[in-house]
Amino acid sequence: MAPIVNTLNGPQTLGNGRFFWTGFALVLMIALGYPALSDPYDVGNIAYLLLSTFTALGLSLMWGYAGMFSFGQTAFFGVAGYTYGVISINLGATGGLTFLCLLGGIAVAALFAALLGYFLIYGRVGGVFFGIVTFATTLALAAFFGQTAGPEWAIGKARFNGFNGMIGMPALELPWFDENITLEGNALYYFVLVLLLVIYLGLRILVNSRFGNVLVAIREDPLRTELLGYDVRKYQLVTFVIGSSLAALSGGLYTAWGQFIPPASMGLPAAAMPIIWVAFSGRQDLTATLVGTFLLLLVFQTITVYSQQYALILMGFLLLVTVLLIPSGFVIGVGRLLGRLGRGAAS
Amino acid sequence: MTAILETRQLNKRFGGLSAVADVSIAVATGEIHCLIGPNGAGKSTLFKLIAGTYAPSQGEVLFRGENVTHRKPYERVGRGMSIKLQVPSVFRDLPVAQNLEISLQRTLSGPAMETEKGRLLEFLQLKDDADRPAGVLAHGQQQWLEIGMALALKPALLLLDEPTAGMSPQETERTGDMIKSLNAQGMTVLVVEHDMTFVRQIAQQVTVLHLGRVFAQGNIDAVIADPRVEEIYLGKGHGH
Amino acid sequence: MFAEIFSIAFQFADVFAFLILAAAGLAIIFGMMGIINMAHGEFITCGIYVTVICVQHGVPLPLAQLIGALSAGMVGIVLERTIIRHLYHRPLDSILATWGISLMVTQGMLIVLGSSWQGIGTPLGSFAVGGYTFSTYRLVLFGAAVGVLVGLYLIYMRTNYGVMARATMQNAEMARALGVRTQRMYAVSFGLGAALAGLCGALYAPTMTLIPTMGITFIIESFVTVVVGGANVLLGTAPAGILLGVVRTILNAWYGQIAGQIGLLITVIIVIRMLPEGVSGWLSRRGG
Repeated sequence: MAPIVNTLNGPQTLGNGRFFWTGFALVLMIALGYPALSDPYDVGNIAYLLLSTFTALGLSLMWGYAGMFSFGQTAFFGVAGYTYGVISINLGATGGLTFLCLLGGIAVAALFAALLGYFLIYGRVGGVFFGIVTFATTLALAAFFGQTAGPEWAIGKARFNGFNGMIGMPALELPWFDENITLEGNALYYFVLVLLLVIYLGLRILVNSRFGNVLVAIREDPLRTELLGYDVRKYQLVTFVIGSSLAALSGGLYTAWGQFIPPASMGLPAAAMPIIWVAFSGRQDLTATLVGTFLLLLVFQTITVYSQQYALILMGFLLLVTVLLIPSGFVIGVGRLLGRLGRGAAS
Repeated sequence: MTAILETRQLNKRFGGLSAVADVSIAVATGEIHCLIGPNGAGKSTLFKLIAGTYAPSQGEVLFRGENVTHRKPYERVGRGMSIKLQVPSVFRDLPVAQNLEISLQRTLSGPAMETEKGRLLEFLQLKDDADRPAGVLAHGQQQWLEIGMALALKPALLLLDEPTAGMSPQETERTGDMIKSLNAQGMTVLVVEHDMTFVRQIAQQVTVLHLGRVFAQGNIDAVIADPRVEEIYLGKGHGH
Repeated sequence: MFAEIFSIAFQFADVFAFLILAAAGLAIIFGMMGIINMAHGEFITCGIYVTVICVQHGVPLPLAQLIGALSAGMVGIVLERTIIRHLYHRPLDSILATWGISLMVTQGMLIVLGSSWQGIGTPLGSFAVGGYTFSTYRLVLFGAAVGVLVGLYLIYMRTNYGVMARATMQNAEMARALGVRTQRMYAVSFGLGAALAGLCGALYAPTMTLIPTMGITFIIESFVTVVVGGANVLLGTAPAGILLGVVRTILNAWYGQIAGQIGLLITVIIVIRMLPEGVSGWLSRRGG
């Protein structure tokens, strides 16, 4: 057990002590018990919030750890969603095949990320320009899918439907002995929760590994890192593909959840959301990003019921306030405070 | 003795300006070799051509018998060079120990890495600062840390660009001792320097650059005795 | 034959004007301060709405456009004084801050102004060459784009402000030591950039249907032009406009608007793969 715990903890993550892991276990218990206390509609809804956090974790990895400003997470979200739609509709997928369709969606998005990333990273496009080009990419994709209304815009049986978005793809179905469990409500919730647990812990291991050490070194000083013998651009490309694929995972799951993917998921204001979640939470820490993103999504959804405009104004305001008052992020600030209290209590 | 590093007819032009012209030097295995010359002589440009952060306009760089002219810096490092640039560039926000780990993890892991890290912290006299962010160290300490990061790679050839820039005379002397003790353990060192006191302290072989060209070459005593060398130093301002 | 050639030239001029006018304000602010103003679209929107409101209250169009540009400039200066100036040394944070502002303004306008307004109609009618008819106002837009480029050249090369601004751009530290009030330089530059964005909106106001999110129409074009142009506005923007204009005109003609837009993006990605510092970086390196 000890070696595994050691790989989870390290300088690149906040929360490495007993205090943190006790809290972690507690939160996990609550999360596991939650469906028993709530109705399936709300549970499905929370599953939707959870599946969005993959996008945020991917951005935290790229931006917070490796120093790459990708403003285009939504591009990969959308590409994976549309690809899932195209494949699953054409195959008439059911059962385990739906998962292959999901993987197909993620694979296409990852390939797209590799291609875009290759041009940007090997063109030595850094800093602000990296953000602008990824941002323009997602906007251009949104504009492209927005005008695919005509019947000629279809791949096989899958119609793009322009601004209204693609519909009619199947939900994910988990083969379970002789029957298929459709992933909605409680089943979807548990599936996403387990996936999130695996990815969160996996990312912790990654950032605390040698690979993670090199990432933060690149963030601090790419030239110095290269002079220590690391092929900086290869590390950046790999990171970009991993981070973008996490957005693709969100996109594929979202599409299967709602059986719907619109171009607006890639346009504005959607493209700004991952940036706001991660900036507000604290981009340099996975846990802070996860907690903050979930809370923001919850607040956003609650307000959206009354007015989406006011919810978005609040998001814009939070971004501005974060930048002006606590640039490293609110949740990270609170987390550091808790860490100090925790150490105080332990000693 | 065989040459570990050789440059052949290296040229680097910026627009119309020729910063390095037809420079051929050879660094023999096991020596401390200093590149000296007045300001603007082309030392730093030559250093960058050797490190690979600049590509030459013409000419070749050979390292351990292999033509590395078109190799990227990280590939040269992978072949046994280790490079410390003039401006201290440690990872400022990361702890001193992690700075060393990033370098050490290329060759070591586990307990072996911990041992070596401890040894280096001792050697660099940074033991008490291991957990502090590197950015808060004094200027001289940052320079040492960076030398330590270069050493952690266990290089066959250590390249140092003005390692004593901004150091006090005491710190400079300690740095000199450090370099000599490394050399005594078998490491070849190439140093770019304009501080002649420091050069006298450490150098065995010297190449003098002047206006981008090799002006004189030889062992330290012969070069210092050369009146023409003194002339270009005095004539062009004595540096420090 | 002449009519076809004129038609192609006209379409190029139209695209070129759009790229230059959309990008000029963004480029000025980026060139001077290294900040990408994510609220660029909202300054354009500001120019549009002020112009339309003025016209609806009986102000003649050219005057209304001037007022539109100036009000965007004023808003820009206020924004710079209140928020951006706290973020000089953190370019990324200023991008995020302007992005937050952009979101608030767009959504706020949706609440206050409702979803769509009646436009004011394109003035000046049209003219015919061969069998084709062309909008005369589009020629005015092309003239305005050229005017903006010439104007910027004159401001930066011939005026006192221009000399100091260029000094600040190259080395703010040094400029300060020489007595340039760099703070004021930044405020004026941000204002100028905002005013140019407002001008873009004001000029295109008569040609569009009004919705509060219309700033986004200009965003992709302005961003790609700035990326291709690079940091030096005087050197980069015009060649970037020409290059992208040619690509876009051809793709528009053959495959339609959306292919044009995606073609622009692909061009940008290829250009930065080859010229990481944009056209201006490449030109100044060849020159030096």
